[in-house]
Amino acid sequence: MTEFSHQLKEALSLVQKPGRYTGGEPGCTYKDKSKVDVRMAFCFPDTYEVGMSFLGEKILYELLNRHENWWCERAFMPWVDMKEQMERLNIPLYCLESKDPLSDFDIVGFTLEYELCYTNILAMLRMSGIPLRAADRDESWPLVIAGGPCVCNAEPMADFFDIMQLGEGEQMLQDVCAAMEYAKKNGLNKEQLLLNLAKIPGLYVPSFYDVTYEEDGRIRSIKPNRPGVPEKVTKAIVKDMDSFPPPENFVVPIVGAIQDRASVEVLRGCVRGCRFCQAGQIYRPFRERSPKLISDCARILCRNTGYDELSLTSLSTSDHSRLEEILDNLNSWAEADHVSLSLPSLRVDNFSESLVEKTTRVRKSGLTFAAEAGTQRLRDVINKNVTWDQIERGCRIAFREGYTSVKLYFMMGLPTETMEDIKGIADTAQQVVDLFYKIPDRPKGKGVQVTISVACFVPKPDTPFQFCAQDTREQLREKQKYLLSCVHSRKIKVNYHDSATSVLEGIFAKGDRRLGKVIETAFNHGAFFDTWEEYFDYDRWLQAFAECGIDPNFYNYRTLALDEVTPWSHLDVGVSQAFLAREYQKALRAETTQPCNRQCSGCGANKLLGGPCFAYDQNQL
Amino acid sequence: MLTIRISFEKRAEAAYISLLDLQRVFQRILKRSGLPVYYTQGFNPHIYLSFASPLSLGQESLCESCEIKTAEENPDLASWKETLQPYMPKGIVIRSVAPAQEKSSEIGFADYTITLPLSAEDALIAYNESETAMVSKKTKRGSHEVDLKNYIPRLEYTKEGDGLSFSVRMPCASGEGVNLNPSLLLAHLQQTHAIPPWQCEVLRTQLYTKNGAIFC
Ligand code: SF4
Repeated sequence: MTEFSHQLKEALSLVQKPGRYTGGEPGCTYKDKSKVDVRMAFCFPDTYEVGMSFLGEKILYELLNRHENWWCERAFMPWVDMKEQMERLNIPLYCLESKDPLSDFDIVGFTLEYELCYTNILAMLRMSGIPLRAADRDESWPLVIAGGPCVCNAEPMADFFDIMQLGEGEQMLQDVCAAMEYAKKNGLNKEQLLLNLAKIPGLYVPSFYDVTYEEDGRIRSIKPNRPGVPEKVTKAIVKDMDSFPPPENFVVPIVGAIQDRASVEVLRGCVRGCRFCQAGQIYRPFRERSPKLISDCARILCRNTGYDELSLTSLSTSDHSRLEEILDNLNSWAEADHVSLSLPSLRVDNFSESLVEKTTRVRKSGLTFAAEAGTQRLRDVINKNVTWDQIERGCRIAFREGYTSVKLYFMMGLPTETMEDIKGIADTAQQVVDLFYKIPDRPKGKGVQVTISVACFVPKPDTPFQFCAQDTREQLREKQKYLLSCVHSRKIKVNYHDSATSVLEGIFAKGDRRLGKVIETAFNHGAFFDTWEEYFDYDRWLQAFAECGIDPNFYNYRTLALDEVTPWSHLDVGVSQAFLAREYQKALRAETTQPCNRQCSGCGANKLLGGPCFAYDQNQL
Repeated sequence: MLTIRISFEKRAEAAYISLLDLQRVFQRILKRSGLPVYYTQGFNPHIYLSFASPLSLGQESLCESCEIKTAEENPDLASWKETLQPYMPKGIVIRSVAPAQEKSSEIGFADYTITLPLSAEDALIAYNESETAMVSKKTKRGSHEVDLKNYIPRLEYTKEGDGLSFSVRMPCASGEGVNLNPSLLLAHLQQTHAIPPWQCEVLRTQLYTKNGAIFC
């Protein structure tokens, strides 16, 4: 049994929800540390509740721990009260399973899910006593690595990481652990280890690249500074989704995670090509798992974890070509096993009655539709191929099925957007309200509630809108005010997200490695938990930029030239710059692009598969 | 309907699981087990579960218990234990699964082993010498003063390694009866001699009925 130190007991007695810091949840892995060769600390730079909701960590935790001689444990960012107690009592940040400090591990890995968690990474390193900068760590320190979607423009964090994983971690992270095992057994120094790591597909060693700049601040070139290091790092993918079955067990959190249910990833990538969506580009190409594998693994997962709710996750689950077959498979056992199904990312355009029936046996609370823009013109610009007729059809079915509340997601600050488009958001919501009252067999005795949820658009790298400047806060405020003035019904609620965090997100999304010192400065001035509004301090960030002599507007308020060398131009996620430029120009002409399963638009991502993404002639679509 | 008592240890990591979370854990594990346990009727059926005299967060126990029900007449309870244990959180060790002999409302007393830092010796001597040991106890109806000496006249401690330890029996009744939590004693030591409660460890070792028979 792991002993808790007196200090840890003291800290735990003084904080809220101490169960977040103890480990020991059903499903977690314990090993004898004297018998393992590689120890990895899998760190999530946000709270336990947020981190325990992410599927990626669960996948990799299971994969690594299948190796008898490796032990992967978990660490999360302690909440403010616990951080304070740990600092007061000199408790270094530890992994939940062994309670050993992060500095005892061979590999300390962070998942970079969103830009605003960057300061938390520094906070976690500092709490572990690990030097922040890669250059200050020799082989006596853990190898500090990163993975996750933000690695597609890893540059703002380049100074802090020894290596970064571009793409999907299933194979890559196992290769990293194997390289670490080899390095330890053969006494390699850090440089030798890094050189070996640089050979692994998808692995990026930031210190092996030099960046030069033009006088106006733009990048001139990014070049490897060692022989044998590739000019471009190409994203790693799992070519055949059935070759890595989904996890059959999860660590089941005791203190409530946000997503506390079983989930199975049914496909990866997205066929749609929405131009604002980074995930839709960087996870290309589209790959599916087969229905039987999904169903079998889901059943084992539910049995192992005791979850009674199963969600089928992916960027766009209803685009699975055999979705009905998956649901039929699942429904053959779900009821007997007391498991209910949910599809989190239903799309309005292929939302059918039989689909609703197969998934909503239990819960009929709310329904969400991502319309993203208020007018057809703007939806064409962003290539969100959804029409009002489809929204209407989806809502009509939903209302008849007993739903009474609808949430509509929109973005504000999209390229080419005018006030007409903003008004369109309110009009769309009003049309949904009117529709409800026109339906004779609507749920009786209840009113309808339409919620408009508006997010600020942030241009992201590797999307056709990477070239665009972000709207300023003033522009966004004005649009927000106008939107409110266009809403005339009490059945409509508007949720709006503050734009200050989006500004920072925009800067880091498209930033380069010069921003490392800004992040470090802001952190030294007390920035962490920037995702949490109560701790986010915009002025502190402005001060950090000023102290470092860096103009933040250069990164997010500037339109990029189509042939500009971007900070991420050496990180190849599959889609080519030429494709992105082409799509951007089509966007400006409000021309749409076909989804990948209808017609290939030649984005270049198929090279990762080594062949075409779809067998078009056999496609029944 | 047969009432079954699951007796278990709750130590280390598991000491930090709150009652509410523990209820969820048991619901989930029992459900997953597929064992023929009784579900409450109604719109949202859930497994009938009742935890007897749950501990405060951070305290450990060798004798926690939870009641469930079953419609089976002769359930194979030995296999129940085997079925449930592998899914329990770390620190929860099932000691027995057996038909309940007594109602949990019969619980009257509990034994605790309390471990304190050596520096607490003066506080214990002072406790033993003083006439009264007042501490305020919060209840649903407000707070009132309790004299601990009425229940625990002396603390017979021994030195062990770098700590002191003693065992104490305290009233532990549910409902109308007297119920004293060891944290009251720790609060008293903190107030009088500034002994930090987090340096003290509490382990509940046994529960007794009002008649003094072992409950679990
Ligand atoms: S290569 Fe064609 S089909 Fe494949 S992801 Fe790119 S656009 Fe889609």
